[in-house]
Amino acid sequence: MTTAPAPYRDVVPKRRVESLLPPEGVPIAFNIASIGARLGAQIMDVLITYFSVLVVAFGLFWLAVLPLTATFSLIIILFFLVRIPYYILAELVWNGRTLGKRIARIRVISANGRRLTPHQITARNLMKEVEFFTPGMMLLVVDELGWGLGLITTIWVLIVLITPFANRRRQRLGDLVAGTLVVENPKTVLLGDLVAKVLAKDARFEFMAVQLDVYGRYELQTLESILRDPAKGPAGAVELARVTDAIIRKIAYLPKVAPNDRMDFLMAFYRAQREHLENRRLFGDRREDKFHKTGDAPVAARKKRWWRRR
Amino acid sequence: MTAQNPDQLRSARFRMEREPSWKRLELLVARADKGGIKGLSYDEARDLATTYRQAMNSLSVARDISLDLALVTYLEQLCSRAYLVVYAPQESISGLVTRLLTTGIPRAVRRSALPLLIGFIAMFLGAVAGYLLYFQDPSWYFTFVDPGLADGRTPAASAEYLRSTLYGNEGTPHDALGAFASYLFSHNTQIAILVFALGIFLSVPSFLLTFYNGLMVGAFFATFAEKGLAYDLFAWLSIHGVTELSAICLACAGGARLGLALLLPGQMTRRDALREHGRDAVKLMVLAGMMLIVAAVIEGFLRQTVQSPEARLIIGWGVGAVWLSWLLLAGRERSGAVR
Repeated sequence: MTTAPAPYRDVVPKRRVESLLPPEGVPIAFNIASIGARLGAQIMDVLITYFSVLVVAFGLFWLAVLPLTATFSLIIILFFLVRIPYYILAELVWNGRTLGKRIARIRVISANGRRLTPHQITARNLMKEVEFFTPGMMLLVVDELGWGLGLITTIWVLIVLITPFANRRRQRLGDLVAGTLVVENPKTVLLGDLVAKVLAKDARFEFMAVQLDVYGRYELQTLESILRDPAKGPAGAVELARVTDAIIRKIAYLPKVAPNDRMDFLMAFYRAQREHLENRRLFGDRREDKFHKTGDAPVAARKKRWWRRR
Repeated sequence: MTAQNPDQLRSARFRMEREPSWKRLELLVARADKGGIKGLSYDEARDLATTYRQAMNSLSVARDISLDLALVTYLEQLCSRAYLVVYAPQESISGLVTRLLTTGIPRAVRRSALPLLIGFIAMFLGAVAGYLLYFQDPSWYFTFVDPGLADGRTPAASAEYLRSTLYGNEGTPHDALGAFASYLFSHNTQIAILVFALGIFLSVPSFLLTFYNGLMVGAFFATFAEKGLAYDLFAWLSIHGVTELSAICLACAGGARLGLALLLPGQMTRRDALREHGRDAVKLMVLAGMMLIVAAVIEGFLRQTVQSPEARLIIGWGVGAVWLSWLLLAGRERSGAVR
């Protein structure tokens, strides 16, 4: 069995992440879409749908094939169709994506790890009408409503607007009712394996087990991100020197490392350190960071309690 | 594929052995994402399923044995993309609509006897009250009926004027009726949605709103009845009103279903009850939406062209009978097995 991603500090700072358990039993993570992206997608959808209805309406009037009454009715029905039915059909056909969501690269998923059901899609979009469109229309004519109804509508709109900010998964009311989440579309990029390039051990650098006991996963993966994307130019050289010196000092590495060999040294160290830590892992010794020896809590946990440690 | 290098790290070998399968999955996922899962051939669909499981397996192992951050990140992303493709809704739209029409909606309606009763009683009581109140004091009319909706059809209007609004066609000055009809449609849609949504507050606001809608109809009816136009108005209202007013009652029933779920959750928690009853409530609302569209079509195309009250009555109540027989007869199981 697997464990969920460790609750420790991550090298790549993650955004809000929601872990789902699909039927395969391996938890997978999605980035929760930002409110901005969702708002953008919604505005895009409104623009696209209303613009296309206006084009059709213009065409109908221009062609004048139907009597005026019928034309009016048809247009009103079209305006109705681009509201709830459009969102329901689009999310059904494109698996949780409307046109606006496609542009914003976000999508709707079911929060329980199962497939998105038609009922969920219908429920969340019906609620959208109740949450935004109807109160929005009412606020447009607020001076006709009288203060009582106007106040209720305003409070309702405020509740609706606050809800996504008030819960961790950024669900609006409709999402809560339907049990859905809006997440970013995952992208896949496979970077090469760093150690695959170094086929053989670099004989110039030897590390002892004691030296490899210093660091943990967090430091290793920080080093990985530096090696994958080294800064260019003089700044890069300075950074490289700083990192190398820090490691040499920390693990008490005695032989001198020439300035030209720094990259090779770091590569060799990365390889040796990774091999060591992965071996320890197989024996059930998961070293999250350099505090593993003292038995102290990992960095993230310690940071949370800083105010207690007076 | 490079040869096995005994000097290589275990996690690097793990990756080398499985990478082709991941790449294959990535390709299939990208294709299925673009053209849908139907665009895949039989072999590809089969490969998608196997490689998906393999990738999930790899992810599970990689999390335990590999400290290569890039690899774990890649696998997580690949698996979530593949998950979205594999667990996409498989129903076709036509299949879904057919199921909704043949079994879903009629059964949901038949399961909601009490909420439906609430909806129709609200409308009926409202209409009766509006009618009686009008004859007590015609100024009630202005309380109930929005001047924007009334369009000059007030108690003060002459019988000729009222008659002309009932039998006007495009030749008469009351050409604006088309716009009025459309306005009424969007008005009714708003009402229906509000009625439905407010049901969540223990159904009381839905009941009141439907009751108020009934008041309007009652007062409106009374205005015409006073001038001896009761039969004509009844026909004029029937042609689309049978469908339209029923739609509002259905929306009210949907709202009542939600309210009742909160009020009388039975053995479930209120949250579960809401979710459970929400399924039928949403179906009632979908039905109400369909009926509103049909009503709008009748209104736009037929009301002004069909001028005789008898034909209006036959069309209106005929359509009503069609709705009723569909909702009562469709989706019944012969063997008596429920759902």
